[in-house]
Formats: sequence, C-alpha cells, structure tokens
Amino acid sequence: MAQIEQSDKGGKKKKGAQKKMSIHVDFTPMVDMNMLLITFFMLCTTMIKSQTLQITLPTNEKVEQSDMNQAKESEAITLIVDTERDAEGNIKKDENGKPMNIVYYYEGKPEVDNDAIQAFISTGSLPNNKLSQEAFIGNEGNVQRGIRKILHDRNTAVLSKIDVLKKDWREKKLSSNKDANDSIYQARAKEIRNDSTLTRPVVVIKATNRASWEGLIGALDEMQINQISRYQIDNMNKIDSLMLEDYLKKHPSK
Amino acid sequence: MGKVKIKRKSTLIDMTAMSDVTVLLLTFFMLTSTFLQKEPVTVLTPSSVSETKVPTANLASILVSPEGKVFISIAGEADPNVAGGEWATEPIRKEVLKNAVAEYNKTHSNKVNLTEAEVDAFSKIGSFGVPMKDMKKFLAMSQTEQDKYITDMSNPGVGIPLDDNKDLTKPNEFQIWMRAIYSSGNENLQSQMKKGEGIAVKADKDTPYETVHNVLDNLQTLKMNRFSLMTALKTEQD
Repeated sequence: MAQIEQSDKGGKKKKGAQKKMSIHVDFTPMVDMNMLLITFFMLCTTMIKSQTLQITLPTNEKVEQSDMNQAKESEAITLIVDTERDAEGNIKKDENGKPMNIVYYYEGKPEVDNDAIQAFISTGSLPNNKLSQEAFIGNEGNVQRGIRKILHDRNTAVLSKIDVLKKDWREKKLSSNKDANDSIYQARAKEIRNDSTLTRPVVVIKATNRASWEGLIGALDEMQINQISRYQIDNMNKIDSLMLEDYLKKHPSK
Repeated sequence: MGKVKIKRKSTLIDMTAMSDVTVLLLTFFMLTSTFLQKEPVTVLTPSSVSETKVPTANLASILVSPEGKVFISIAGEADPNVAGGEWATEPIRKEVLKNAVAEYNKTHSNKVNLTEAEVDAFSKIGSFGVPMKDMKKFLAMSQTEQDKYITDMSNPGVGIPLDDNKDLTKPNEFQIWMRAIYSSGNENLQSQMKKGEGIAVKADKDTPYETVHNVLDNLQTLKMNRFSLMTALKTEQD
C-alpha cells in the first residue's frame, strides 16, 4: 500500500547525512471506494424536481342559471381531447412514434338542438356538425401549428402585448435587478392576460373517457403557452358525445 | 559488446489526482441529492412548460396508477423543529391515520383497532394504499413483504378504494383519507391545501382520462377544487 522509498542510489554516503525519504501512498483503493459511493449517489438521486400545473375545478354545487357567468358566444371555444386506442386499449402511435392524441374543437355554441338529435337518431347523421380536428404539434420555427395555431390566432390581442413586454424583459428594461425584472414581468403579464378590454377567448376543455392523461395536460399546457387566462375543465355532455360520434362516422380513420 | 539493459519500469500510477476528482464529484452528489421516493408504481408524468416546482414539505400527493389504483403519500414540515416537532412527517402521518381510522369506524360496522406499534409502523411508510380493512394485516408485515404486497397491481386489496360518491355523510375511503389529512391540525398544511399547492395529483401519461377523472371528481366532491398536477419539464422537441 504505502511505501517509503529510500533514495540511495549507490555512491558514497556521507556519514550523518539524513536519508532522503519519499512517501508514496497508493490511492487506488481510495478511488475504488469513491467510485462506488458516486455510483450509489448517482443512482439514488433525483436531480429534476417535478413541475406542477395549478388548476382549479368548478364547484359541483348547484348554481342557478341566472347566477352563472355566461361566456360570450363569439369568445367561446370548446376543445375535446381524445386519444386513438386499439382494441386492447393501448395508445396508437403515429409513424414518428408519437402517441395519437387528437383534439376536436368548435367555436361558440354547438348548435345541436333536439331536432338535430332526432335527425341523428333517424338518419344516423348530424346536420351542421361544427366539430373540426387538430393535432397537438409544436412550432415549426416561429410558426405555430395544429391546435396551438387555432388558439394563438384567437388570442393575438393578448399575445402581441405580451411579446412587447417579453422583449423588454429580455433586455432587462423593466428593472436592472434580475429578480425585480422577473417579478415586474410576471405582474404585468398577468395584468395583460386579465385585461377585459382585449378580446380574449374562453376555452372549455373536455376529454373523452379514452383520452390519455397526456392529452389533457397537453391541452392545459397550450393554455399556458398561449397565455389564455380563462379556461375550464368540464365534463362531456350528451351533445358533445353525439357530435364526436358523428364526426368519427363521417371521417373514418385510415 | 555492451549488454542490453532492460529497465525495470514500475507500473505504479499516481492515483492522487484521480482521487481528488472523485472526492469532488462525491461531494457534489452528496450535497445536491434528494433521495428518490419509493413508490408502488413508476409513472411517467406528461410534460408541460410550467416552471412551478413541486413543494417538498406540507404536501399530500396522490399517485394514480394506470390501472386506477390510488396511493397517497404525506409530507410534513421541512423543519422538524417547527412548533415543537409535532408536524414533522412521521407525527403528522400518525395523526392522519388516527383521524382516518376514527372516521372509518363511525361509518362502518367492521371496526379497525390499531395498536400504538402499528401506528408507528404506518408512519414509516412512504406511500400507502390499502383498504382500511386490510390495514392491520398490512402493517403487521415486514418491510420487504409490504413492498411486495403493494406493488402487485392485480391484487384487489391494493389501492385506496374510491367510487363515485357525492354523499359526504357516507364518505368513501379516499374521501376519509383526504379529509383526515386536511384536518390533521397542521395549519400550514391546511393553508397549502386551500391554495392548491398542498395537493398534487400524479398520473402516468398513458392513463385513460376516465381513471384520473374519478380522482378529480372525488376531490371536487370534497370541495378541494384547487390542486396541482405533477408534470415533467418539456424538452425542446415536444
């Protein structure tokens, strides 16, 4: 292990001269042990803490129709999240290996009344089905695609203001102090998101029973990305299911 | 003729530098580490752009397995000395269990009576999820047996039972547990739960919405309308 080496390379030795000693300690076992400990710590730790999305569900107490906040029809947009599954309930993947989370949407009221439901029962087809289909896909460069584009286009008033603010925030114009800069940005962004003078959409998010959790989180995430302050998770009602059934009938998947 | 001298070379390598590096790395990992929580099922959470971190203290997290089994884990105050140490993780778990058992015995005919030792065993468990009637049996097991028992998802005796129940005078077991956590007496936990930061729902990304919806519905019935959903950080390509 450790060895003391005497450096006496021949020659005469002066009497009384001190022997030069060099000490070698072999660190190999020490390194071995350290590596083991490092491996242990690496395997047992979590570096990344989970993020959280805060949501608030509506109360399920009975509210009088007149007390409800009615969204303007022009502002309302309803998303229905769905996921394609095979017969065993496994999620289908597209050719890129991405799960097939699909979102259907319509604007305003569904415009399906009792007559339309009757027509669906007798003919099996729903007149004026407003449902359209979109996918969850990210940006292509700076261009929004899929459902993000739909939401983005409806919230441009807010987003353009936030973009200006973001630019100031990046250049630290709000405050020279980093933390103050951040907090001013957060406060102002919130103000813009809740500015009732701007046209902002009201999004109602619904999900089918077979929709994956990822799809629902994806929809909630789009709210964050598009700075939408008014959104709500709601349950599917009969009309929604009818519209979806009708849509799938008219557009059979390939 | 000169002899060819074969020099004897020593193969000793100086490991000092190597040792220095490993000690540095070790220090880094030791200081930054938080240990992985042992969970009955490993779930892959979906990703989001949200940057709010999940709190480590005063949190009741609800884990939903893809099969629909529900588990709860409770974390108390981060500083064990706060208010005399009564709301550290272990004491708070004990308090919750006692509350829940009392509540359960009020509405069920088959009473559950736990000894002090069993309550103590419960406080050591990270995530729990067995029906109340099996609680005594579960707490009597050794730790390895418990781990084996709770990770068996096909066992009907695993997971906190919850059904679609809107009547709070006859709460289901999930509702009993959540109420017991809420009224455990720790005001910080209670205010965190009111704000929505004290309840976290964690589910796998492939779980059907129907399954998670059941949990959300129960929380809604309990008037715990605000809560957090656990997600992972979104990567660039998503």
